[in-house]
Amino acid sequence: MKNGALVVLKKELARFFGDKRLFFTTVIMPGLLIFVMYNVMGNVMQDNLSSKMTAVSEVYAVDIPDGLKSLFESGALKVTVISEDEIEDAKNKIKEKNIAACVVFPKGFQDFVNNFKPYKRAQNVPNVEVYYSTADIESSSAYSRIVDLLDLYESDACNVFDINFASTAEEQQKYNVATDEQTTGTLLASLLPMLLMTLMYSSCMALAPESIAGEKERGTFATLLITPVPREQIALGKVLALSCMALLSGLSNFLGTFLSLPALMGSVAEEAESEFSVAVYTAKEYALLIVVILSTVIMFVTIISVLSTIAKTVKEASTLTLPLMMAVMFIGFSAMYNSDPKQEIMWYLIPVYNSVQSMIGIFSFSASAVNILVTAGINLAVSAFGMIVLRVLFNNERVMFAR
Amino acid sequence: MEEILKVEGLNKSFKLSSKQRKIEKTDEKIKKAVVDLSFSAYEGEIFGLLGPNGAGKTTTLRILSTLIKPDSGEAYIKGISVVKEPEKVRNMVGFLTSELKLEDFFTPDFLFDFFSDMYKIPDDTRQERKQYLFSKFGIDKFAGVKVANLSTGMKQKVALVVSIAHDPDIIIFDEPTNGLDVITAKVVTDFLKELKGQGKTIILSTHIFSLVEKMCDRVGIIIDGELVVCSDIDTLTKEKSLEDVFFELYYERKGDSV
Repeated sequence: MKNGALVVLKKELARFFGDKRLFFTTVIMPGLLIFVMYNVMGNVMQDNLSSKMTAVSEVYAVDIPDGLKSLFESGALKVTVISEDEIEDAKNKIKEKNIAACVVFPKGFQDFVNNFKPYKRAQNVPNVEVYYSTADIESSSAYSRIVDLLDLYESDACNVFDINFASTAEEQQKYNVATDEQTTGTLLASLLPMLLMTLMYSSCMALAPESIAGEKERGTFATLLITPVPREQIALGKVLALSCMALLSGLSNFLGTFLSLPALMGSVAEEAESEFSVAVYTAKEYALLIVVILSTVIMFVTIISVLSTIAKTVKEASTLTLPLMMAVMFIGFSAMYNSDPKQEIMWYLIPVYNSVQSMIGIFSFSASAVNILVTAGINLAVSAFGMIVLRVLFNNERVMFAR
Repeated sequence: MEEILKVEGLNKSFKLSSKQRKIEKTDEKIKKAVVDLSFSAYEGEIFGLLGPNGAGKTTTLRILSTLIKPDSGEAYIKGISVVKEPEKVRNMVGFLTSELKLEDFFTPDFLFDFFSDMYKIPDDTRQERKQYLFSKFGIDKFAGVKVANLSTGMKQKVALVVSIAHDPDIIIFDEPTNGLDVITAKVVTDFLKELKGQGKTIILSTHIFSLVEKMCDRVGIIIDGELVVCSDIDTLTKEKSLEDVFFELYYERKGDSV
């Protein structure tokens, strides 16, 4: 005997895989789009960063000491010495983006620096004025370079102690005791839960309203309801089929994100001075992640299916599911500021939040298997409850046939 | 003859929205669609529900096919309650109405298989029935064409064939010839007669007098949700035509308001 849920599942999948356009727009395109977009974004960001670093900016300077002038010029700043009367003129030139900045040194600056005694608390120190414009990216970057150079000059002038002194970058790295694993973990734990939750939810959102509210709207749902297949089997078939599709779509999104992470994260990892690599995760992490993702997708599909059943049209269904999307994103965001997962089991009783916490745990290598099982259990319990609600709704003629 | 369908005191009302109230020009918030409706249908007969638009024909048929539940009253199909055991009833009933549509994306072939599976028809029986019905209605040439690309008439035929994929004993047919050209309409009415010949019971609703006269053994006339007459067609049209009988009853009820 054929089970009604299986028959419905088969039909839904035939619809999905038979429609090349639908398959392309929900599975191939999102991942591809994300991959291309993130890579372009990552490259542009890095290009921008490096071009800003190497481009020579023109700055004016008043009373600049010779030592500083050569320091400035070694820092990709072309210095033109001007007199005090020309400061107003220079400010206008900054405004018009002709030059990047104007540095005004006070009278007797060099003398003060030369005679400075590190053990004496100085009062009335000279003030170097740097004019710049935040309206011009080149000016802002020149400004921060000037400040850095001046700070360097200042600390050279009265070097009392060093911090993490090292002549090479490799030598410097010995101070950072974090393993590559941990760096990657912290980075991903703050980023991926939000991304994954949003991707999963939006995948479900792209599919479930069409399959339920759409069938209602087109009048094809009633043809399912006059068959002797019990309502709960129709609901189960639909939810399972939608979960498969949402997982595929989510997988595509995820792959797109995952594969472009190196491009996107390259600069961040460089700053942390460690290798960014997703190869640090083992089968255990992936297995736990699959448990969390599977149960979460099934829950999302069920919830959105319930909302789609209540809605009269696909459009209404999308509107109804939006507030929940906001909530999911918001809870996902909470991971960005909290990369240590909660350990107490009670946090894992809260749907959606538990998935986020579980993912933080998995990515940062501090997951507890019990908490993840609790999460999966809760997600499936919510889904089961959703199925009961679906059955009740499918039996409600006002919901199913109201126009 | 065996009593196949027994309807006892069906009542069904709907809430009217303020918009609907305006259209209907009424202040009442509840519209009684079906009022205390009772009738029976027997094995091997065609029973017609005749009435103007909005009389409650479709509502009655929807209750019989278990899509909606009555507020009160009962209907039994082969002694099984449509209210208490709808799933059993669905196995015995084929319901066809223009409200039930087929998914545009699929082919007639796929849909027939799908609905046969929903009714748990064994594969060989399904294949046999598909061949028979498809060739009977000329669907075989279009079996692989998506429903979206079929003509209106062909869509109707596919819908008809799919609705009786499980070879039901009772066929409930809401406005069977609506929207069909004369040739297709004849194919459908001939087929209904053939089904009757096989001992099936057919309940149809219509507002077309000639269809009732030509097809039905017995007829129930519904006006404003109430069954005003239920009789076999020969007795009813002994003295005057069905049309005259209908209008007499109609004006009697509606009085001067028409």
